[in-house]
Amino acid sequence: MIAYLVQRLLLMIPTFVGITLIAFSIIHLAPGDPAELRAGGGLGAGAEGGLSTERRGAVDRALQEWRALYGLDKPLHMQYLIWLKNLFTLDFGLSFKDSQPVWGKIVERLPATIKLNVLSTALVYLVAIPLGVYSATYQYSFGDQLTTFAAFVLFALPSFWVGTMAIVFLGGGDFYYWFPPGGLQSVNYSPAWPWWQRLVDQAWHLCLPVLMLSYGGFAGLSRFMRSSMLENLRQDFVLVARSKGLAERVVIYKHVLRNSLIPIVTIMASIIPGLVGGSIIIETLFSIPGIGQLSYEAVLARDYPIIMAVFTIGSVLTLLSILLSDLLLSVVDPRIAFSRRAV
Amino acid sequence: MMATPAAPGLSVSRVVFISLGLMLVGLLAAPVAWTGAPTSEAPVTGDWLINHMLSDPEQLNPLTSNDAGASSLLGYIFEALLQRDPRTLELRPHLAIARPEISEDKLEYTFKIRPDAHFQDGRPLTGEDVLFSIKAIKCPLVNAPFQRVYYESIVDAQLLDPLTIRFKAKEPYFLNENVLGGMDVLPRHYYDPEDLLKGVTVTELAGDYAKHEESVRKFAQQFNQNFSRNPMGSGPYKFKSWSTGQEVVLERDPNYWGNGRAGIDQVYIDVRKSRVINNMDAALVNLKAGNLDMMGLQPLQHLRQTSGARFEKDYEKYIYSTPSYTYIGWNIANPIFQDMRVRQAMTYLTNREQMVKTILFDLGQVVDGPIYRFRPEYDEGLYSHPFDPQKALALLGEAGWRDTDGDGILDKELDGQRTPFRFEIKFNSGNDIRKGVALALQDELRKHGIDANVRALDWTIFLDEVRNHKFDAVILGWAMSVTEPDAYQVWHSSQVENKGSNMISYKNPRVDAILEEYRQTFDATKRIELYREFQRILNVEQPYTFLFIQKAVTVVSRRFQGVEVLPIGRMRPLDWWVPKARQKYTAQLTP
Repeated sequence: MIAYLVQRLLLMIPTFVGITLIAFSIIHLAPGDPAELRAGGGLGAGAEGGLSTERRGAVDRALQEWRALYGLDKPLHMQYLIWLKNLFTLDFGLSFKDSQPVWGKIVERLPATIKLNVLSTALVYLVAIPLGVYSATYQYSFGDQLTTFAAFVLFALPSFWVGTMAIVFLGGGDFYYWFPPGGLQSVNYSPAWPWWQRLVDQAWHLCLPVLMLSYGGFAGLSRFMRSSMLENLRQDFVLVARSKGLAERVVIYKHVLRNSLIPIVTIMASIIPGLVGGSIIIETLFSIPGIGQLSYEAVLARDYPIIMAVFTIGSVLTLLSILLSDLLLSVVDPRIAFSRRAV
Repeated sequence: MMATPAAPGLSVSRVVFISLGLMLVGLLAAPVAWTGAPTSEAPVTGDWLINHMLSDPEQLNPLTSNDAGASSLLGYIFEALLQRDPRTLELRPHLAIARPEISEDKLEYTFKIRPDAHFQDGRPLTGEDVLFSIKAIKCPLVNAPFQRVYYESIVDAQLLDPLTIRFKAKEPYFLNENVLGGMDVLPRHYYDPEDLLKGVTVTELAGDYAKHEESVRKFAQQFNQNFSRNPMGSGPYKFKSWSTGQEVVLERDPNYWGNGRAGIDQVYIDVRKSRVINNMDAALVNLKAGNLDMMGLQPLQHLRQTSGARFEKDYEKYIYSTPSYTYIGWNIANPIFQDMRVRQAMTYLTNREQMVKTILFDLGQVVDGPIYRFRPEYDEGLYSHPFDPQKALALLGEAGWRDTDGDGILDKELDGQRTPFRFEIKFNSGNDIRKGVALALQDELRKHGIDANVRALDWTIFLDEVRNHKFDAVILGWAMSVTEPDAYQVWHSSQVENKGSNMISYKNPRVDAILEEYRQTFDATKRIELYREFQRILNVEQPYTFLFIQKAVTVVSRRFQGVEVLPIGRMRPLDWWVPKARQKYTAQLTP
């Protein structure tokens, strides 16, 4: 087990280097120079909008200084090696935008994104699993078809549209004021409020975004659960259980459900990278300052250190979650042992 | 209230890219004092103003920040030696006692600083702080390269006594006073607590500072990193807090030095909150729900979503011109567009009135030259080319363009080769207005045997192609100066090479002469004469097809008093106020 773990962890190193190398090259080779972008290309600067060539010369010198400040004047492979070296001390560098440490900027935005994702993932599981179980036990019934149909309709509705409709109709504009139309806290929010008031305010603000982030996930997971249940229902042990005279309730919930949850447990691990990866659409729609927004803005502004940091965290978590899935599998299913696979 | 000398560059924020493309929102105007619309009540303090922001400012360091969102906030926190009257736009003293004494040779500018001004922490504002401010700008390692270019010509500054400072310029230029007078004054004790720049002179910073390498380096590093989110100046509002992606809060300084002083703008609103809402639909819902007091509207929101008694009871809409224009630039280096008659024909084929109607939803106005219509330099007599295909075809025929090979496309012998009239119009993707213009023009040209290709390019690639003259025609925008314009960089022939802003390679010796003389002319009437002639030349030669300026629509809650659109076409929330009975929020001000 330990040997297997070590082996897997060591294997992650070349994968990680490969991933970051490709990402680094793509980001740096994509058209657009962050220094020029800061200067507005010399087209936007100036009272009259223009920039004289004399000044252009000064700006070019300034850009050169600026590039040197961030090490952008070095050859690409050197830049990558420096980046990799700094990574060992968890130093992601400074953002081009405001010279602030990248790590701090990410940590600042993590709580909102994690809150949103944890809540919506929990909601997806809470709704989808019972739904899948129901669909499987009453296969081809009207209820099965209705819930399946509904789940797929939801899946097909784009969240930017539903979200906009929700804001317009429920956000206090010309219609109902049930939910706030965005943000994380009320306009007159004060840290001096009692804790329960702050909690209620926050929960009220998270309602719509969490719902919008979740509804599309019902279909996939409930179908997954349904087919897993159906597969198990056809197994011989179900026949045995039924012929022993067990109640149908016990057969379904004790024997079939447990076995059907095995694949669900393993895909749960893959949620982890998703928890810190923000949703650009939902965050933008509801003005939630999360990781999605940060990375989107970073890409537009060619803020390399931020893009690389978000990307690196995402890929490390993905690699770890794959490993975790494999480990979980052996926990829930004792038939799978590592010693044999590790050979 | 901040007399920004010149717009410090284009915002990198995507908002500006998407909505304005290349245009820069002109910051040049210094919105200044005015006591508001006539009302029977006297203004009172209190209440909040909650404004809308599409995205966070980049940072709030007055020198290193580079975006429009930040500069509107910084304008409440920092002050300059001079400011502009909001109605006449005339320069008037603010932190200085009077306008500067200018030497005979127009190279030395001496300012006397008022003795009673102090910063928000109570420390007095003196010449030392002004001197520090110019040093910080001139320091090559400070991350303010795009502000620094406006101070290129300032080569020295000396304190004559603690409240008198003399600046020296390299060349006579009538806008030097404006540049110096508009410089934000930063507290030295706050931004350079160790006084690292003490022994360094402005001349050294502008040239060779090797002697002080270490302290300059240390200062720049601290200045670049430590002051992004904690501005402190002498203005009427103090920075309170900034929650990323949510809001920036400014608070009225009850101990503001200008309180009750004649000639200084008085402010009344206690708290100014700018809320970040990235989505225009959500912003409008927020406004209607009472969570915003003020926001800019998109044309369709203005036309379809903001009317009715309920809306009008609570909010008023203000419509005003924005000082920037959109144009089609013809690359004169391209043999097709070298001929003036072809360019004139293109303007006759551009249905500008129709574009304003259908693309801008009537929120715009056709323009015929680069000078803002409210400026005295503006020439009322410019010929406004109507939409006239007959005239255009006659001009093209005169220039030798006809369809000789019967393929339906005009052609002409150029450099010994039969060339069809075929070219490409480029613009930046994501800009729907420019896209609309390009498609409408393409459609019209097709009817007359001209084949125009339309191409949208990603912003960064677009920039690169335009700067390197790789285009036939380009749709772009420029900001217009609401104060004294200087069109040198866009139209002078020296500005074609080295990625200058004369992207279309326009060269006219008379225009060159005018632009040069104008910059060194200190007599305003003479300057006006020169620029009227300049506009008339452009009007005939049509190097650009000038399209239109756009109008902005801003909604403001009716509880605010003193709200108006200034004659130069802009709003200035500095001195708005709310009657006691209608105040909505309260705040405990920190002294």
